[in-house]
Parts: sequence; C-alpha cells; structure tokens
Amino acid sequence: CQTDKLSPVPVTLFSDKVVFDTPARVELQANGMYSYVKVGTFLGGRFQIFNDIRAEEFLNRASNLVTGTAVWNHTLYEGSQNDVINTWGAGYAAINQINVFLTGLDANAAKFVPPIFPADYANKVKNYRGEAQFLRALCYYSLLQLYARPYADGNGGKLGLPLRLRGEVDDTGNDLARSSVAEVYTQILTDLDAAEGNLPLTNGASLFTNTTRAHRNTAIALKTRVYLSMGRYADVIREANKLVPATAPFVASSGVANGLNSSVVTVFTQENTESILSSPFTTADGPGTQNQLAYYYLPPGSTNGVPNGGNGEYGLNTAAGGILASPAFAATDARRTNFVQVVGGESFLKKYPNGSNTSTPYVDKAPIIRYAEVMLNLAEARVRSTNSVDPQALLLLNAVRTRSNPTGAYTTFASAADMLTAMLLERRIEFLGEGLRNIDIMRLLVPIPGKGSVSAVNPTDLLYVWPIPASELSTNKLMVRN
Amino acid sequence: QDRTITGTVGGSDGASIPGVTVLVKGTKLGTSTDADGKFSLTAPATATALVFSYVGYATQEVAIGNRTSFNVSLVTDTKSLEEVVVVGYGTQSRRDLTGNVATITGKEIATAPVQSFDQALQGRAPGVNITTPNGVLNNPPVIRIRGVNSINLSSTPLIVIDGIPTFTGNTSALGSVPNNPLSNLNPADIESMEVLKDASATAIYGSRAAGGVILVTTKKGKKGQSHVSYDTWAGWSKPVKLYDVMNAQQYVDLKNEAVRNLNANRRAIGAAATNVEGFKLADANGNAADTRWYDYIYRTGFSQSHNLNFSGGTDKTSFYSSVGYTTQKGMIVNNEFKRVSARLNVDHKVFKNFTVGMRVAYSSTMNSSPNTGSVGDNSFGSAGLGRVPILLPPNLAAYNPDGSPNVSGTSIGPGPNLNPANGLPFVIGFINPVVDIKNNKFTSDGAQIEGSVYADWELLKGLNLRTTYGVNNLSFEDKAFYTSLAGSLTPTGEADNYYRTNKRWNWQNTLQYDHTFGENHNVSLLVGNEQQNTDVQRWGASRTGVADDFFTTFQGNYTNIASSGQFQGTNYLVSFFGRVNYNYAHKYLATVNVRRDGYSAFAKKYGNFYGASLGYVVSEEEFWKKSSFGSVFSTLKLTGSYGVVGNNQGINDFVALSTYTSGLYAANPTLYYSNAGNTNLTWETSKKTDVGFAFGFLQDRLRGNFAYYENLVDGLILDVPQAPSKGIPNNSISANVGSMRNTGVEMDVSYNVFQDKAFSWTVSGNLTTLKNRVLTLATEGQRISTGTGGLEFPNYTQVGNSVGEILAVQSLGVNPDNGQRMIRKADGTVVQYNHLGTNPGSLGTPGWTTLDGKPAFAPTPLADGVYYGPVLPTWYGGFDNTFRYKNIDLGLFVQFSGGNYIYNGTKSGLHDQRFWNNEVDILDHWTDNSRTAKWPRVVYGDNVSNGSALVMSSNVEKGDFARLRQVSLGYSFGQTLLSRVNVASARLYVQVQNALLFTKYSGIDPEISTNGTSGVNAGANIGAGVDRNSVGQARTYTVGFNIGF
Repeated sequence: CQTDKLSPVPVTLFSDKVVFDTPARVELQANGMYSYVKVGTFLGGRFQIFNDIRAEEFLNRASNLVTGTAVWNHTLYEGSQNDVINTWGAGYAAINQINVFLTGLDANAAKFVPPIFPADYANKVKNYRGEAQFLRALCYYSLLQLYARPYADGNGGKLGLPLRLRGEVDDTGNDLARSSVAEVYTQILTDLDAAEGNLPLTNGASLFTNTTRAHRNTAIALKTRVYLSMGRYADVIREANKLVPATAPFVASSGVANGLNSSVVTVFTQENTESILSSPFTTADGPGTQNQLAYYYLPPGSTNGVPNGGNGEYGLNTAAGGILASPAFAATDARRTNFVQVVGGESFLKKYPNGSNTSTPYVDKAPIIRYAEVMLNLAEARVRSTNSVDPQALLLLNAVRTRSNPTGAYTTFASAADMLTAMLLERRIEFLGEGLRNIDIMRLLVPIPGKGSVSAVNPTDLLYVWPIPASELSTNKLMVRN
Repeated sequence: QDRTITGTVGGSDGASIPGVTVLVKGTKLGTSTDADGKFSLTAPATATALVFSYVGYATQEVAIGNRTSFNVSLVTDTKSLEEVVVVGYGTQSRRDLTGNVATITGKEIATAPVQSFDQALQGRAPGVNITTPNGVLNNPPVIRIRGVNSINLSSTPLIVIDGIPTFTGNTSALGSVPNNPLSNLNPADIESMEVLKDASATAIYGSRAAGGVILVTTKKGKKGQSHVSYDTWAGWSKPVKLYDVMNAQQYVDLKNEAVRNLNANRRAIGAAATNVEGFKLADANGNAADTRWYDYIYRTGFSQSHNLNFSGGTDKTSFYSSVGYTTQKGMIVNNEFKRVSARLNVDHKVFKNFTVGMRVAYSSTMNSSPNTGSVGDNSFGSAGLGRVPILLPPNLAAYNPDGSPNVSGTSIGPGPNLNPANGLPFVIGFINPVVDIKNNKFTSDGAQIEGSVYADWELLKGLNLRTTYGVNNLSFEDKAFYTSLAGSLTPTGEADNYYRTNKRWNWQNTLQYDHTFGENHNVSLLVGNEQQNTDVQRWGASRTGVADDFFTTFQGNYTNIASSGQFQGTNYLVSFFGRVNYNYAHKYLATVNVRRDGYSAFAKKYGNFYGASLGYVVSEEEFWKKSSFGSVFSTLKLTGSYGVVGNNQGINDFVALSTYTSGLYAANPTLYYSNAGNTNLTWETSKKTDVGFAFGFLQDRLRGNFAYYENLVDGLILDVPQAPSKGIPNNSISANVGSMRNTGVEMDVSYNVFQDKAFSWTVSGNLTTLKNRVLTLATEGQRISTGTGGLEFPNYTQVGNSVGEILAVQSLGVNPDNGQRMIRKADGTVVQYNHLGTNPGSLGTPGWTTLDGKPAFAPTPLADGVYYGPVLPTWYGGFDNTFRYKNIDLGLFVQFSGGNYIYNGTKSGLHDQRFWNNEVDILDHWTDNSRTAKWPRVVYGDNVSNGSALVMSSNVEKGDFARLRQVSLGYSFGQTLLSRVNVASARLYVQVQNALLFTKYSGIDPEISTNGTSGVNAGANIGAGVDRNSVGQARTYTVGFNIGF
C-alpha cells in the first residue's frame, strides 16, 4: 500500500490554502474576478444583447430560443434557461468570486509582508479591494435592470435582489430574502463610493489595461449611470462633473484621460480613451458559442463570395418606431454609414466587425461604459434637474452628435421636453447595440415598444421585468417570485 | 453383413428415457429411442460400438461384440452440474454457488455484427438491461444491472477482463464521434461473460460493485487439441424507419397557411398584419426543388469481419492466439468503425506445482462519424444529421443548377423562400448538409494494450499463492476538421486535435486454500490484496483560420490556436479482501466475502464492504432423491444473500478538495475559486438483498432460476444544490445525502423441448422486473432536473418517484372551437394558446387565455406539470428459440422491454410552425372546415402549441416494444464431407439483426435515449427516456462462414 498515493495532490488545480501565498497569485485572482464579470453569458455579450433586443430596435430572424427569441417577444418564464436562469447564475457567480476574494484579502492579511510581498503591499490591497467593490456594484446594478422593478416604480420600494456580501464556500446560508430595490442601490453606491477611494488613479500607461481594469474614473462613470437610473439628477451632475469639463475638449482632468474620441468608428476598432470599461476577448479566450455580439448582429450569408461573418440572429428594425426610421438619424451620419450594413434589403448592425470570417473571430470588446455616455448622462441630468434648455447640456449633446453628423448640430429646443426627446433619440443612435436601451426604458418607467408582430409591454405588465428564475425559487426558501 | 440391434435405454432410476440418440460409432447410422425408451437399428458387420447420448446425461459408449440386444442405463451428467463459473478472483462450481451469477457464453454473441461485445448482451441475461441509445457505430450501450444504482456516479457495471478492471464509457473529446474502450476487445476472443449481481457475488469487488460486475474471460488453449479456426461475416446496414416529412408542395401550402393565420391573429387585436406569404415552389428563375434530405444522409453500409485463431496445448503449455480484422460502415454517411486486434494467451507449467502465464492483447481502432447530434450534448445542434433532414425545407435544393452547393455564408441558401417578417430572401441559418458531409471530418482513433502476467505456486496441496500484475494502457486521438468553405458553420475553418491516455496498473496477490475435511466438509478460503493506479491525461488544441483550403488536418497552417480539452487526473485504490466458501456435502452452502477499500478521491478514504450468503440444495437430500417426485423434479437449490457494496465509479478525482483553477482574462492568466470541497465525502453504499432458487426438471431438461432482489443505495453522492444567488461554483456541493431503492424479480428458464437425431428445439428466456424509487434527496421537496442538450428539461427526479420521470403539462388536445392547444393547469383551469393573438397586459402571458378568452398566465412544467411514470423499463427480457433439423439450424432471438415512458421531443420539433419542415401528419390540423383534428391551427412562428417550448403530455408516449433482434439460419456441412478434406467443422449462415420491431411508439425507435450516451454522468442515470433528434438503430443483414481445422 502506498499511502501517499491515497492523497494525490492535483497538478492543475490549486488548493484554496495557497492562493494568497504570493503577489502574483493575488494578481491572478484579481483577473479572475473580471473574467467572471465578462463571461459571454453576462457582461461579455448576452447582457448587452438582452437589453437591446427587449426593445424596438431589432427584429428577431432566427426564431431560436437559445439566442433570445423569448427575450425579444416577451415569452420568458421562470424556467427559461438561456436567459432568465443563465444570466442570474452568471451574475451571482461573479458576485461570489468577488466576495470570496474580498474575504480572502482579509483572512490572509498576515501573509502580505516582506520578503514575499513588497513593503507597500497594503496600498495594492486597497486597489484590489476597490476593483472588487466596483465589480460587485456593476454586477448588482446589471442584475437589477432585468430582475427587479425600476427604481422609479415606488422609489425603490419594490422587491430587489438577495444581497450576498460574504464569500460563500460551504453549504450554509442558502436562504436569503430579497432586499428592496432601494437597499440594493444603497449597497451599490456604498461600493462605488468606497471603490472611488480605493482604486488607483490609473492602471499605468496601457490603454488596454485602463479599459479592462477599473480605475478611479471607472467608478465615477458608473455612478453617473446608477444615479441616473435612480432619478437622482443632482448626484449625476456632481459625479459627472468630476470627469466632464464645462467646455471642449471633453477629457477628464484627473486620472486616466478618458475623453470623447474624434471618431466613433475607432471606439470599436482601436484602443482608445473613450472606452472606460469594456470586456476584452482573445481567440484563446472568446465569448463562447452564441454569446458573441458579432454573431448576433452581423449579417449572415456572404457578399461577393466573402462571408458576412455573422449569423444574423437579429436585424435592425427599419419600420416606423425603429431608430433607423427616425429623422434624427441622418443618412450621412457616420454611425449609419459605418455601423449599418444593408444585405439583401435587410439592415444589420455592424458595430462589432470581428465576425466569424475574420482572422481573429469574435474578439470585439463588449462595451460596458464609455465617455460619451457620461456626457449624455450629465446633459440629461442637467435638463431634468433644471427643466430648461440647459446650454451646457446642448453643448454636450452636440459634441456627441456632431462627431458623427457634423452638420446635424441642434441650435436650440423649444422646450426642455423637446430637448429630452432629442437626447433620448441621440442615446438610441449613439448606443445602438451596446445594451443601454432597456436601461433607459426602465429608468423612465415607460412602455417597452413593440416591433414586428410583437406587441408593446406596459410598465404595469408582469413581463415588464424578467421572472425570478426557477433555479433560485426552488433552492432559496425565502425567495419571492416577480 | 448387417445385423439388427435392439434395446432399451433407461435412467439410473430405472425409468425409460425417450428420445435418446443411438449412433453406430464412426458412422452416421443411428436412431433414437421411442416413447418407451426402446430402439432398433441395423448395423454393418464392421460396427464395433454404439454411442448413446441425451441432454442432461453422460454420453455412453457400449461395445457391440456379439450382442444384438442391449439394456443401457444412462447416468445423469454431473458435468453440466459441475459447470464452472468464473467469480471474483477465482472460479467456483455452479452447483456450490450461492451468489447470483448469470453466464453468457462467447458463442451466443460471436456472430453479432457489433463493434463491442457489450452491445450483443441485450436481452441475454436476467437482471441485465442494455439500451442502444442511438444508431451511431460504436456508441457505448447503456448497461444497467438491476436498475440505476446511482444518480451522479456511474451506474455502469465494473467490467473486468481476465481479472483486470478495464475502462468503460465514451471518452471522446468530440461530441460527434463516440468511442468505446470495450470495442478494443475482439468479441471472437471471448470464452464467457459472467454477470455478478447480488452482494454475495459482487462484494469481493467491494467499492466498485454497486452497479454489478461483468467478468469477461478470454479463450485459452486446451490440452491435446490443436485447433485452427476462421470466422468471417459480411453485412449490409440500412435504416429501419425514417420519418415521413412533407414534400415541397405540402410545405409551401402549409407554411403560407400559417402566415395567413398569423396575420389574422394580428389583425384581430388591431396590430399590423404585414407578414408575407413567402414560401414558394420556385424562384424568379423558375428553379424548383423537392428535396428528400434523408437521401444525402443515409446509405446502405457494408461491413465485414475476419477472425483467425490458433490454439493448442501440451501437458505443460497451452496457448490461444488470434488475429482479427473488422471494418464496418454504418447506415449514416461517413460513419465507420475499424479494428485490428491480436491476442496471445499462454499458460505454462514450469514445475509440477508452479505455473506461469500471460494474457496480452493489442488492438487498434478507428471511429469516424459525422455530427449526428446523437452522441454528445448536441441534440439541438444546427448541424446534427439526426435533425437537419427532418427540419430543412424540402423546397430548398442541395445544389445550385451549376452544381455548386446551395449556400449563403454559413447557412444554406434562401432558395425561393422569402422571410414572412420582411419579405426578403430567407436565409434560415441552418447548414446545407452536403457541405458538411463532403468536407468535415470527425474521428477518434484508439490503441490499447491490455493484459497481465501471473505466477501461481502451489505451496501445499490445495494451497495456492498467486500474484497477477496487469496493465491497461489506452490512448485515443480525437480529431475534428471543419472546412472554411461556404455552408460550413466555421467560415475560417477549424481543426481540433486531442490526445488522451488512460494508464492503469493493477497488482493482485491472493492466497487460496481448498480442502475437504472428513468426507463432506468442503472449505475454500481466499485472502488477497489488490492495488490499482490510474492516470488519465488529455491535451489538445483548437486551431482556427485555415491558411488555405489545401489544409485539412491540424498540422496544416492556421492563424489562431487556443488551448482545448486539457485534463489531468489520477486515482489510486488499495484493497484487502477475503472469502470463505463452505459446504457440507454440496448440500448446505455458505459464502462470506469481506473487503476493505481505500480510495484517493474521497475525503474519508476507507470503506468496509461485505456480503454473505447461504444455500441449500434440497435435491441433494436423500429423501428427495428417493421420493417419487425427485426423479422428475431433479434439482432444487435455495439461496439467499445480503451485503453492502460501494460505489466510486465515475467520481471526480479531486471532488473532495476545495480548489482554484487558472483561466484567462483576455491575454492575462487568472485564478478563481472552482470547487467547493466536502471534507466528509465518502463512498456511496449499496445494500443488496437477494433470495432465490434454481430448479431442474426431467433430468434438468428444463432448468431455471428465480430471484427476488432489493438494492438499497445509501449515501448517494449528490450535488446538493445551492441557491444560484450564492454563486458557489456549479451551484452545488457534493455530499453523501440521497437514497434510492431498486426491487424486482428476475427469472430465466431453458427448456430442451425436443431432441432427436434429426430435429431439436431449445427454448430459453428471461424476464426481469424493476421498480425504482427515490427515497431521499439532498433537500426536502427537491426536484433534480436533467437537461437535454442543456436546453430542455423533461426529466425530473423527485422523492417517491422513479428516477428522471417525465414532467409534462397536461394537454387536453385541440379546442374544436378555435383550433388552439388546451392545457390543464394545476388549479384545474384550462388555458389555450393562440400565437401572437392576444395582448394580456398584466393579467397574463401573450397568447394564453382561458377558454372564455380571458388573459391567462402560461402553464409551466414546474407549476402545472404531471409526472408520467418511469423512464426505465419496469419489465424487460429476452426469448431465444433454436431449431436444428439435420444440418440446418435456425435461431430466433427476441428482446422485449416496457413499462416505461418516453418524451418524444423529436415529435414536437416535427410539428413546429417556424420555417421547419413537418411530419406529414401535420396535414391533419385544425381549420374552419376540419374542426376535429390531431394538430392545432397552424400559426407561423408558433413553437408552443407543438411542444417545442413547453414539454407537454401529447409528446409523452409509452415505450413498450418487442424486437426480433436476431434471426439466423445456418447450414453445417456434414462430417463425412468435412473429414475427407480434413476440416473439423464448417458452418455457413445468414442473419438479420434488428429484423422486426413491434411497438406503438410513434418515433423511429423506442430505444433511443438522447441523454443516455455517456457512461458517467447524471444524464445517463436520470435523463433516460428522451428522444430528441437522435438517429435510430440500423437493420443489418449478414452472411457468415465459420470453419475449423
């Protein structure tokens, strides 16, 4: 009997006892949190896709339940696997990775001393903690947009999400009730405020690292979106002002020089400072089957013998009601000439160009937040809080708009309401296919418009928000269905 | 000069025996005894002796001399009672056996046109249920001995070849092509297979025995006989049944009607009704097609097999050696299996009391299969050849007029169809199978060396010390290539290669002592130790972006490469075991087995297992032998056993540890929490009870066995579900929590109905019943769902039910008033579905209303589902008839099974109202003029009313069937002819495999088990009874020839 053989040590897996033993392993774990947030079933593709296809800009072409048909035509139920169950699971899997990491940072603090760790490692730990807090806030915010009634519905008084804040590693603590929407938002803001303090000003000089790892501006940018979703416009303005100067050039004055890129096209094709946070991919680390933005939106078939690279799961809605039919979206707009491809009479979104036919398929970054959104968040908050045709807001709106449509500047508006309409149209044009459409509908508590043979969904409808997945209802006794 | 010889033949009891064959020795002259046991024949002057033979009696030779009248007394053939049975680490006489062991001889399966011997065991032994889950060559069958005996671990029996446990189950890295390690063993080399079922028989295998044990013994040479034989067969395989799908005209008419109805639905609620009736027979250029897609996918496959073996022996040495070659082409294009094998078995007596020997076999296999969507988790794949031919529109052509494949990008081209949503050419996003078939390739090539050497030293008379060291080294190279040509799903091309090695060594040392004390105390003792170490490694990569279509292999040039399929595992088992067999005068029997096992994967390493049994051979009692019925009721043995065995088969090597895994965040490496360990994890145990009897009538002309069994499986290792919001990896932690029970009876009977010189008829059959009940699961009220392809969840396992029962909402059929599908909800209300025909607001789900038109919420299987009984057959068995008339033999083998339910998911797909083609019975759908129809009113895009999006009872069917699995007709050449050319035996036969199928099941094949294709996973255990786009079994016609010298 060879007793040592009875307790073999795996050579490809780490024991949980050793993962905080060196600075390199802690750094690997930090990357691990991001890798969970950016999985294709969450913020690496499907989250953005689901938030777009719920609304009116896209027409489902494949009738495939795996690629969101039930999201598109509002026939989801608690057992819907590829959307309701998987998105929830992916979001909370990321949250627990973050929580386990945070717990580990505390539990292993005694290890973080020389000679293995540098003397100033406490500062690094602070940065890691900031990244974890930021990512946790991002996950909770994202899940709220699908699984809970909007904040605007009763000032956050409706049922939110179970707030999991400790690292789960054993079989205890299974049942946990839903906190209110407001409570979850409070936690998100607590995390983001803490993250702002903990995060580094920059992650060095690498553009790639600064768009794929959080820094101080990332937390601030997300706060503008969170406050906007809560209707706390003064807070949006306060946070956005940290990043957006009163006048052009629109570049953040501290931290990473996030700013408005000169071309909207290169935002999606090159490293840039407009992208504040995006989910990165490589051919070795792709979004996974049927999660890729390009797979959903690029046209199928081929043009002149060259495959178009997508599967055309969703085409653009050219009918009245869709943004393509809006007079605000000029034919010469760079966002139309570059991002809309017409094939066989159908229009497709070409924002994510690395389809399956390229030498590096499906490596387009999935956008999470970019500077143009912070500008428009600020602009909208100014108009809403002042209920006036705010001049700075006009400046910001036109900055984003004229970048792509140089002759399309708005001179002024007859009313604040007209201006808000134009701003919402601009958001639809600017962020088409970036996952913001549903978020904008939810925060304003307006109907989800219909499209094709699918009717509109009113805020009073049950399916205005997604059902709580059956997988959670069957295992968490304190869970309450939507 | 001829002379007439007469006589009478009786048994030792004096009663006459009819039907005894009487032959003049060395001739064909002979007769058989009449009803009074009398015979009369004419013998030539040269005749020297008569030979008397009859089943159940020892053949007797009597010299003729000058006599003309004979009174012969035959004695019962104790040899048949002395039949030796292979048991764990030894052999035992069947007469003294108290455990439940079924024996299947190699001969019974030798001519079956299969890839691996396990496929041929269907219906052959009681208690053994074998399912062929699909018709892809060399897919491992699902073997269940006395039911499913685990949920998360393997329920596959331990397979032991010549004493060394072997690998089982599909290990291919590719979802399209399966492999089966058991196919490395040439079925022609098998002497016998014993199935160990109860605790007494299996406990000696302790921790690995919960699912039963199958011991395979290969042939060995016999002393004094030199033997050469050659066996061959050739076969042709075809599909048995395919679906009858609509032709182009029917398709176009139906789909346009569905669009019309959709517009009507939209108009009725005041919405735009702009959908286009875009399905057309011909395009603008007049090009039309009426394609039967099956024609591109099925074929008649040709197979052949050749086996040559030599065997022989002297006083000191005996050997058996063989070479085998088989190449088999399946009924599906590109589906092929090849094997080249060689074996050498040698036993050599070095000294009087010291024997050494070896068993060694090498084989090389090749598996090739297109993606059928039947093997891995691909049942919904848009490239699965099980699904594509029934789904693709028939009005699309496979090829363009210029001969190029009809494609558009990755998809098949639009043909004449316009998308109803926008009136533009309709590219449907499914492959054109001709591109896939011609260019893509999926193979799994295996090589295995397995064998052992042993030394056996007889220390004292009856005391043997034996050591055996065995190895089983197996490798598989799995390769996939996807073309970059248009119509393939991979526009840039892709090649994936994986290489897997399974390396095992096994060392056994036993001390065996057999002795008879006094006259009647027969004792046999065994103590032993066994160690087994297994290392499994796999590495691989996926390359994409082929530099040029010139390259079709992984080694060509590509622009990208990604790591894929890496795996490294190791496990170790150490065991100490012992056995005592005692019997008094072969009348009172007792056996005790004990085993202590330590296994590396568990947190609590060691487990103790045992089995004990008693037997009583009533017919050995003097009172019985002397009684009047004793001569008719010749054998009766009562047995009973109880014991506890364990299960570690299929458990993850490091499941008990809390671990982190490294991955990628774009180009950066990561480390993340990947497994929540359990420091209490230990063996699953199975408490097995068995009581039964063996009987024989009429000098054992009629023999049989009966047993009642109960397996109580305790400490089932379940993935205790954690709330997904906890975010624990896999949302579960493994723990020993559940329990489950299998009970039933099993019986087998063989009867020598008639036998005389010219004609004989033997019948044998077996029947098993099974009742499976889940007793406890991880949490109160838990329902464990099993997914098909990760997309559909028809199977649920719940306490009080059998594992994996189908949970479906109850369909009440079609509402004659409006053609809508009606479903009864849990609260009793009936709701109906009208696709895109209602705007329910906050009061319901779009499309669903009550019968009086009020908005309603959609029914769901979890809330409204009804269980539809077990998915495991509750009764099954086989029935074998063998007839012989002179030189002609006829065999009819029927396998049957039933009591189970099948979720026919394929049927729901076949009636889906998206652009998919439908089965022709959809023509019987509701219209204004035809209100009592089988199928609802067709509405374009409706995937609910048919069951695609909702598991419903109209697609649940009973799975009873009887299959004429094998019919064979043979001719054996006469001895006179053969002896003239120095041939010992020769037989020519024709055979049909899977000749007839009797079933009410409406799908292709009631045996299809879409989730039952893997040996080790929950899907195989608790996901049975699902038919989702898998291909059915083939019918194979073979012609064979055996010759021996």
